[in-house]
Amino acid sequence: MMKKFTFLLATLLFVTEWLQAQTPLDAIMMKQRESCFALVYDEGKFDQYWEGKNLRTNATIATVNRQTVLPLMAIGVHNKVNLIVAVPYVKSFSSELNGGKFAGAKGFQDLNLALKGEIVNKQVGKGKLAALATIGYSTPITNYLSDYRPYSIGFGANEVSLRGIVQYKLAMGIYVRGAMAYLWRGQTQIERDYYYNNGSYYTTWMDVPNAWSYNGVVGIRTLKNSLLLEANISGLNSTSGDDIRKYNAAQPTNKVDSEQLGFQAQYYFNKVKGLGLLTYYYQVINGRNVGKVSGFGIGGTYVFKI
Amino acid sequence: MKKKLKKQIAAILLLVVVSSCENELPTRANYQAYSFTGLDSNGGTWKLILLSTQDQIIVSAPSNVSSTAYQSELAALKSTTSNLNGNQLDAVNYWSNNSIVRWNEIALELVAKYNLIPGPNDDGTYTLPNSANPSGPPPFPFAHPPYACRAFAYLSVAQFDGLITAWHYKYLYNRQAPYKVDSSIPFAYADNDLPSYPSDGAVIAVASRDILSAMFPLEKEFLAEKAKEHLESLIWAGANVDSDVAAGEYIGSEAAKVALARAATDGMKKAQMPKPVSDSIKAAAFARFGWQWDNLELPVRPVGLTPLFGKVKMWNVPTVEEVRPPIPPTPGSVEFQKHADELVDFANNMTEEKRKIANWWSDGLGTYTPPGHWNKFAKDFIIKYKMNPIRSARTLAYMNMAIMDAGISCWDAKYYYHYPRPIQTIPGFKVILGTPNFPSYTSGHSTFSAAAAEVLSYIFPNEVGLCKSWAMEAAESRIYGGIHYRFDTEVGITQGKSVAQYTINVAKNDGAGN
Repeated sequence: MMKKFTFLLATLLFVTEWLQAQTPLDAIMMKQRESCFALVYDEGKFDQYWEGKNLRTNATIATVNRQTVLPLMAIGVHNKVNLIVAVPYVKSFSSELNGGKFAGAKGFQDLNLALKGEIVNKQVGKGKLAALATIGYSTPITNYLSDYRPYSIGFGANEVSLRGIVQYKLAMGIYVRGAMAYLWRGQTQIERDYYYNNGSYYTTWMDVPNAWSYNGVVGIRTLKNSLLLEANISGLNSTSGDDIRKYNAAQPTNKVDSEQLGFQAQYYFNKVKGLGLLTYYYQVINGRNVGKVSGFGIGGTYVFKI
Repeated sequence: MKKKLKKQIAAILLLVVVSSCENELPTRANYQAYSFTGLDSNGGTWKLILLSTQDQIIVSAPSNVSSTAYQSELAALKSTTSNLNGNQLDAVNYWSNNSIVRWNEIALELVAKYNLIPGPNDDGTYTLPNSANPSGPPPFPFAHPPYACRAFAYLSVAQFDGLITAWHYKYLYNRQAPYKVDSSIPFAYADNDLPSYPSDGAVIAVASRDILSAMFPLEKEFLAEKAKEHLESLIWAGANVDSDVAAGEYIGSEAAKVALARAATDGMKKAQMPKPVSDSIKAAAFARFGWQWDNLELPVRPVGLTPLFGKVKMWNVPTVEEVRPPIPPTPGSVEFQKHADELVDFANNMTEEKRKIANWWSDGLGTYTPPGHWNKFAKDFIIKYKMNPIRSARTLAYMNMAIMDAGISCWDAKYYYHYPRPIQTIPGFKVILGTPNFPSYTSGHSTFSAAAAEVLSYIFPNEVGLCKSWAMEAAESRIYGGIHYRFDTEVGITQGKSVAQYTINVAKNDGAGN
């Protein structure tokens, strides 16, 4: 009898944050005609979620798993402007045993596009200050159903984001970085024409709440610049939305908040020019209408000239 | 600097584009007060459902329009209507001249609000909602489909009986509406010759408030506020003077009492039962047929949903046994396997079209349920065909009686045959809709839908094709969703049709035409 629960976090990670590598979030810029291709595998799961602000388990969905393959391309269209393109493939399912016996979901999710521009890059005191801005757009590329939580592979609406990034890097390779973004999210079309969202709605459209997103990083570049280690904290705060009702399914109108801690390592081979590896781990520590997800990713990056 | 400016402009443009994509989302039926296709001046002679005579509820003659008493009421009305503020005008517009639609909408919303199944406690037990302690936890009620169809039926029947009574007195006393008596009084809606004493709007407001307050006790205050605004809107609209409203309120209150007296003894209180009794029903089915339905939730829910809803008093069918469907195929038999294979095939080859149909008709937890879905269709037709309030109430009363009878008959079959769901009989089977906490055979949605479609087809002969295709699609959707076998739905359709026939036979002879 029970239905679908929330699992938005991985969505958020990949739609708005993508990953911690070469992304709209970081301060790395490709030079003109230089490109970076990344392929990352991510696996996240949760067996507890916040129903509103109340953390709970639910044997109907048991442990919800989500696997993502993310191909990503960053292209230096100009020394100070990069274009980033990503198209995640997502698969979600519940562990056995579960009480709901729901089929999972899988498919290509959204086309993600971002332009990243470098605004400031100069010596300030002993270190280097960089300021960047990204403008992002994402749109579903398949007809996946957003109204099938927690198995939905995305929130099914267009998103436009504006993000500012500031980084300060000391000569010894230690750096701190902060990013803040606002995400405008459109409406998602669902497959029923009535739903309850603190009242009746007679429509096949749901408002997906807009949100603020933030990200803070402390990192170090070491081993002659070939190893990069980062600790990060990131979060998302919806500006509106309803709570998941008691023992009921989540839906795209929910107010989703989350806060997570993560750690990431990237290694660039000196001997194989352009090749890098990355791995990361993350854990949601606080949230609202979201799974208490923990997950990891592994991937490779390859930088090359066009 | 130039760059910065460009960026700012781009950002603003972006904002405009993004925000303009956001459509205003409708939260209720979009209609304005309309001119009725007819007034049904003989409405007072129509067959009552629960009341025995048109004057069982006694309403004395009103004062004459020339009397001082009436004239002072009229003066008060004039002074009120000449100074309406925005909120009052909104209320007049919202309630319209057919408030049956609005109160039905409110009922649907409350069902959606309360259609939440209680989850397990920390120790793995379940607590049932309790009408003696409505706040819970869990809150009362759990407005599941049987509960919902019953709430809709009593609401519609009380409104209908109340309006028949009101129509009787309207044409008996024939007191004209205030805007007819004094042409300087503005009327917010389309003029007509309907006598205004007693107020039909007040009947609807009070009957609806009282029925819904009994069905949703935690909403008493909300409903009282709604009714208060509705009653005041009758004055603001220039439709009624105070004594029209007072007489209507009395009828509404009395009609609700009669309906609630039936509800108190219709057997619903015994529909949910303790585990030992429920187990004995299950054991009886196993002894009879060699199979039984089991709840597969984690933790296991000890009792299915309302095992004795099949024993609740029916509206128009003499005995539930006479509409009980035949025995379904034995699990494991060749006939059964054919249907199970179809489910597996659909699940393995799910298409977007099938998925969409499954979801469109899902009407599951947190929604207004399948009976609610048909009430929505009925309202759309009521508006489309510009029905007046008494004919609207009649439409909903007959439809909702048929739906409730269908539900009772369906539940009788469910617990008599106690047939296992697909997730129980097919190893590893996965669904895209939640499997409900009651046996499979026959499909509730199919039975509800067929019954509703039959009644609506009778009342709206131009919509027969649409209604029947909806019912068939609703039935099919359960197969796509993985929660019913085809025989559950096909037999459910037949069952719903035959149950509805009893109600239609009553409607055919109620003096109202079709």
